[in-house]
This record gives sequence, C-alpha cells and structure tokens, in this order.
Amino acid sequence: MNKLVKLFTIFISAITLTLASISSSFAKVEGEYIVLGSAISLTGKYSSNGVHTQNGYNMAVERINKMGGVNVGGKSYKFEIIYYDDESNPKRAAQLAERLIKQDGVHYMLGPYSSGLTKAIAPVTEKYKIPMVEANGASRSLFTKGYKYLFAVLSPANQYLEVAIDLAVEKNGGKPVRIAQAFEQDAFSQDVRLGILDAAKRTGSKIIIDDKLPKELNDMAATLAKVKATKPDVLVVSGHTKGALTAIRQISEMKVDVPMLAMTHCDAAKLSKQHGKNSEYALCASQWHKNLSYKDKFFGGGKKYDKDFKKEFGYAPPYQSAESSAALLVFKDAFERANSFDRDKVRDALKATDMQTFYGNIKFGPGGQNVAKPMILFQVRCKGDTCENKVVAPTKWASDKFYHPIPKWSERS
Amino acid sequence: MNAVKQKDLILYSGLIILGLAAPFLFSAFKVQLTYLCVLIVLAMTWNLQGGEMGYNSFGNILFYGLGMYLTASVQVGMFFPLAEWTESGGEKTFVHTTAQYFQGIGVGLLVAAIVPTIVAGAIGYAILGLRGHYFAICTLGLGIAAGEIAGGIEIIGAGQGFTTPPFPAEIVDPEARGQFFYFLSFLVLVLAFVFVKYIYGSRFRLILNAIRDNEDKAEAMGIQTMKYKIVGWMCSAFFCGLAGGIMGGLIGYIDSTDVAFDGREMGVFMVLMAILGGKGTLWGPVIGATLFHFFKEGLWTFILGWQYVALGVLIVVIVVYFPEGLMGWLREKYPDRFGEVIDEKDRKAQVEIK
Repeated sequence: MNKLVKLFTIFISAITLTLASISSSFAKVEGEYIVLGSAISLTGKYSSNGVHTQNGYNMAVERINKMGGVNVGGKSYKFEIIYYDDESNPKRAAQLAERLIKQDGVHYMLGPYSSGLTKAIAPVTEKYKIPMVEANGASRSLFTKGYKYLFAVLSPANQYLEVAIDLAVEKNGGKPVRIAQAFEQDAFSQDVRLGILDAAKRTGSKIIIDDKLPKELNDMAATLAKVKATKPDVLVVSGHTKGALTAIRQISEMKVDVPMLAMTHCDAAKLSKQHGKNSEYALCASQWHKNLSYKDKFFGGGKKYDKDFKKEFGYAPPYQSAESSAALLVFKDAFERANSFDRDKVRDALKATDMQTFYGNIKFGPGGQNVAKPMILFQVRCKGDTCENKVVAPTKWASDKFYHPIPKWSERS
Repeated sequence: MNAVKQKDLILYSGLIILGLAAPFLFSAFKVQLTYLCVLIVLAMTWNLQGGEMGYNSFGNILFYGLGMYLTASVQVGMFFPLAEWTESGGEKTFVHTTAQYFQGIGVGLLVAAIVPTIVAGAIGYAILGLRGHYFAICTLGLGIAAGEIAGGIEIIGAGQGFTTPPFPAEIVDPEARGQFFYFLSFLVLVLAFVFVKYIYGSRFRLILNAIRDNEDKAEAMGIQTMKYKIVGWMCSAFFCGLAGGIMGGLIGYIDSTDVAFDGREMGVFMVLMAILGGKGTLWGPVIGATLFHFFKEGLWTFILGWQYVALGVLIVVIVVYFPEGLMGWLREKYPDRFGEVIDEKDRKAQVEIK
C-alpha cells in the first residue's frame, strides 16, 4: 500500500508537470501570421463536406497569402489556420472551440461544417467575444439568438427550397400543389422543412407526407413507397450528402415517378457524376454556381475558381467550398478596414461588411446572416452520358429552362 | 492499520487540494478538467455494475442523456414556457436572471438524479433477468432507442436540438462559467468516490461480487439477487444522471443522438475507461479515465483524421496485453503491494504439479 501511494504521487505530479508546461498561451498574431482556428469534421458523418470546407479554406489562405496577404498597419500579414477534427459531433466541437480559444490563444474563428456544430460552437465564441465568420451553418435559429460575434456568408436554411414550391405552384397553373417531404433529423434539414411549411401555407398547398429520416441516412424506402401510392406533385428531400445520394439511388431502383424532385446538397454529393442519368431532372438548391457573374480580384469569377479548384484538388468545387473560401475574403477585408487586431474593432468592421466576392455579394443582417445574396436552383441535365448542373432559377442567371414534369421512368431511356 | 489510514488521509487530502486548486493552476484547461471529472464519474459508476456485478451495460448512456434533457428542461420550464423556448429564438426572448439560472440548474440536477434512478429501477426490473451477452445487447438497444425517440419530441427541440440556458449575463467574468461547472463536476466526483468507496467496504459489494462470480450459487445461498442487481444499477443511474445534467449545461447545446444519447462515444468510452484501468477495482476506473482523457486530448490533435484508428489500436492493445486492466496487471506483478499474501508453499506445490 505504501508503494502504491508513492506510485499515485508520482503519477499525479507527472500530470501536473505536463499540464503546467503546456499551459502557456500562444498569441493570436504570431510574427507575420494571423492565426485563425477552426474545428472541422474530418471524420464521422459530415466528413466529406468537412473536407470540402477545409479545401475551401485552404485554397483561399494560399491565394490570399500569395497575393500580398493582409495589410494591417502598413505591414503585410499571412493567414494561418489551426484545424482540429470535431468528429461531426457537437459536443466535441464545443470542447474544441474552447480549446482553440483558451489553449491555442486563437482570437478569430472560422466556422465548422453544418448547422448543428455551428450551434454548439457559437455560444462559446460569443462567451469569449471571438469573432467567427462561418460558411456552413445555415440554420435560421442561429440568426435569431442575438449573437453579436457570428457572421454567416450564406443564406439561411429556410430559404433553400421555398423557391422550389413557388416554382411548382407556377407550373401547376397557380393552383396549390400536394407536397411529399422527408427530412433528416438535424438542425439544418429541419430548418429547410420550416421553409417548406411557410411556402405551403403561403400558397395554400397541402403536405401529404411529412417524414423524418434518421441521421445515418441509408434508407428511405418507406417514404418512397408512400410516394408511389399517393402520387404527390412535388417530392422534397433534404439530408446532407447522404440524403441526396440515398434518395436518387432508391428513387431509380424503385422507379418512383414524381413530377418534381427538389433536394439539397446535390453538388456536394457529386450527384451528376455518381448517379449520372438516374439523377437527371433533380432540382437542387445551391448557395453558389460557377456560372454566376460575381467577381473579385483574388479568384476572378466563378468559372476561374472552378478551374483553379479542380487543378488543386482534382474535383469540381461544390458550393460548400466556394462559400468557405469567401469566408476568408470577408476576414481579410474586415482586418484591413479595421486596420487593427483589436477583436472588437474587427467585429465592428465585419458588421459593416459590404462587398462582392466571386461567390456573391456579402452584407450582414442584424442577426449575422448574409442578406445580399439570393439562393439559386439548378437542375441536373444530361447530354448523352455526361450530366451537368444547369441553373434554372432565379431567371436573372438561368442558363437553361426548367424542365417539368419529370418524364416517367418507363419513358426514360 | 492505523498507519495505512494515515497514508490514505494524506493521499485523499492531497487529491482534494489538487482538485480545488486545479482550475486556478491550469486556468486554460478548465473545460478539459470538467470533462475529466465527468468521465471519471461515468467510469466509476459503470464499474459498479459492469465490474463488480459482472453485468456489462451499454445502457448507462440512457441515464446520462435523460439527466441532460431533464436538467435543461427543468431549468427552462421552471420560469418560461418550454415549447416556446425550444422553437427557434426562445433564448433571446426569455433571459434567466442570475438567481433563476442557479435555482433552475439546482432543481434540474436534483430531478436529473432522481428520475433516471427510478427509470433504472423500472427497466432493471424488466431486463435484469437477462444474463451475460443478452443483457449487454439489450442495454445497447436502450440508448439507441432513447436517442431516436428524443429526436422526435418537439417540446425538447427534436432534431433541431435544445440550446440550454446561457450562463447569466450579469456575471461578467468569462472565467466564472468554467469555474462553476468545474466545481460542480468536482463535487459530484467527490460524492461519487465517497459513495463507491463506502460500497467497497460494505457487504453490498460482496453480494455484487457473488452475483458476478456465480449468480446461481448466490441465489442458492439465499441472496435475493434480483433486488441487489436492481439497486446496483440504480446507484449507477443516479450519478450518470447528475453527470449528464452538468454536461448539458457545459456544452450548451443538446442534440438527441450526438450529445445526449451518445452511445457511440460516451457510452463506449465509459466501458473502455473502466476496462483500461481495471474492472472491479476502486482506483482502476479513475486511472483508466484519466489516462484515456490524456490520450485523447494529447494525441488526437496530432493524428487528425486517424484518431479512431488509434483508438481501435488502443482497444486491441488493452484487450490483448492488459485483459485485467492496468490495475489488474499491477496486481499480478506486485501482489504484495495490494495486500495479497502469497503462500510460497502453495505456489511451489502448484509449480510442481505442472
């Protein structure tokens, strides 16, 4: 027992020493680097979108650093990002945010992927008064909490598919439509659902199927069986990348005929590549598309961004990457206008942001959401075996006409 | 005997002083230290029925999640309409005063301790008749089912999640929140330790051990095994509920399957920590949880994206090389330090037989 006590004493003092030695905080601006922190989903259910986000961040950091960096007080600084893996878990994300701020001494944060994780991190950044520019938390409830240090470059989630319902009503000769919908059980998709509910109320449309899908979304055959039986005018599905993939896979397997199919995350899922013709005619909400005519001096326009991104990472950038890149442009702009590293000055500068990036116009509303950029809808269209996403709404940027209704499976070649 | 007690006294008072001083010594690590306290509580109470009673439960996460939702719901529901709160934006409209916040969390934690205990009693009555793997699989289902059910209940936020009340804005010091949650968790840790230590010196533990070693024999000896099994599980549930309540307040955002009924992480971790340290020992789970937490926090950053592979390797190493955990391994190597007397004659005799 005597020695056991000694063993414990040694054990505990070892811990104490290790802790004490790493306890010293690092600076938020080290030498010529401005250090940003971010918890990203590199593993777990959001891992693919987490990587899109990280690639977007990295691409912008590299580009900005190469093109002269950030000028503050007459000196040029470079961006650097500390990443942690939040494992797609809100609990872990909140813990890592705390760690970034308290132990790594980060004073400026970039957002994680998904609304749920942003919801978990925002109270932490708010508590320590750390400005966070996030590019992937679209849930409306993020912007109604009165957060002062949260800025989102994207449009809120409830706007994602509202337009699709309007479009369906229009195609139905202005008459209300019957909607079938299935949403994943998470903060983002549930907000998309709220948007649909609003649109349905506004147009007098009826919701005939309203299903909730589990988070590990690999099967929605039950919903599709109901769709087959009730024949709605529109089928709305949202469940991040897995939701989009599962929906297309099972719709084509079960040969479900529905005049209109509206979804989210089609480009993140690389739907047109992975499922080719089976995904044709799917209507998708997107924050960004390469054909839009926005411009900035770092990335040029959308088409150039698309090309550069492909060269760097070997795949076409989904909007998740584009908006993540835009977040850094916003930070750079704010630092330069604040001309200081004082957190509150940077925060005020962020608040006053009004700029154009290749990704779209950015101006923050009172809740921190981007109010200057509309959502767009694209439709997957195929020529032969190659499928592409064509913008169909809003009309200002539409490159193609919206194809409606979707031909029956029996008539498709 | 007295001398040993004195040594114990020094050890315990040293640990308590360290525990009280820790948030000031390592101010930047308060949140991690709070996690550590909670993890130790979870491992230690899991050990009560997993290690001592031999009933491997993956279901303790049920009580943890239940405690989390209950604390937050009570804390909000005592003062404001809960349904409006969980609908987006409620947190802005209704603001807790300092007194309301602490009253709420106090009552909330009380409820979070009591209700899971009752639930454990009820469920235990139904399923503790199962033995071995059947019990383990059954409890595995409990956590998963609870997560899916909670994800469908609108009043606690369903899939949207539940934002717990923010720390009162009147307390300006940003360190206060971390300190509050740390000391709360430390208090629960001390309570749990004292309780488990008390059990270790009682007849109750011997009965649990008897159930583990041979349940039929124990029954034949006149022990009402069912009764003791249920009570054993209820003890775990009590502390799991408290731990969950604290974590909910600390994290600030409750998600049904990823934060509350997080069987994939917390539910597995608590088993792993207890096994790592050594099942069926007082200090095993404490050491296991501490090592595990250090491993996780220290190493995981450096192997971004590969942590779970590393965790898998760790599990394999534990199972292959330390099947009895660190404490079990030490005990085998240095039995005399654990107060075990080896009969040399007997040992030799055994060798000779071979």
